[in-house]
Amino acid sequence: MSTTTIDARGAYCPGPLLELIAGLKLIEIGDEIEVLSSDQGSIKDIPEWVAKVGHEIGESAELDGYWSIRIIKAK
Amino acid sequence: MSASPLFIVLASPEHEKVQLAGMIASVAAVSERPTQLFVSMAAVAIFQKGLSAGERYKGGAFSGLMLEKGAPDAMELFAQGKMLGELSIVACSMALDIQGWTLDDLVEDLFDEAGGLTKFLSDAEAGELIVL
Repeated sequence: MSTTTIDARGAYCPGPLLELIAGLKLIEIGDEIEVLSSDQGSIKDIPEWVAKVGHEIGESAELDGYWSIRIIKAK
Repeated sequence: MSASPLFIVLASPEHEKVQLAGMIASVAAVSERPTQLFVSMAAVAIFQKGLSAGERYKGGAFSGLMLEKGAPDAMELFAQGKMLGELSIVACSMALDIQGWTLDDLVEDLFDEAGGLTKFLSDAEAGELIVL
């Protein structure tokens, strides 16, 4: 499994989500994307979208003024 | 079960409402919800080809903040909704006629067609309708 990092810090809603979706089109099933986001809404919005469309949410962590959210491409 | 389609009428040229239309349309479209945007009245002028963000977007204090802070450009949100999801955008043929414009006067690659309200409302019977 490979991991791609998308640094969306500084991007406002729905920028981080749209960057994630564009990134998912470029990776294989089973691969992971780590989204770095400083947008508070994305912390709830990204897991909500991931659950809705059928991917898998991995570990999330609050770091120094931003969050790391991991998503595994499932389909 | 797939989500019911979403239909959005954008009639206001205010930046705040155009931005919200872009946010709703793009997020719904990428969330596997077919979305159709009908752009009418003064909102058509917002989509004029070749404008800078400063020329395109007029609004209140919040508009100024969005431009200052670098919020996503609404035209980009619409484009991403089309590229990553199922979003179709129709320009109101009456509003185009009033302006003396055709689709060629609008931002490239955003609009699927010029159309009438009757067809849009008929389509909208299948889902939810938001008016901005």
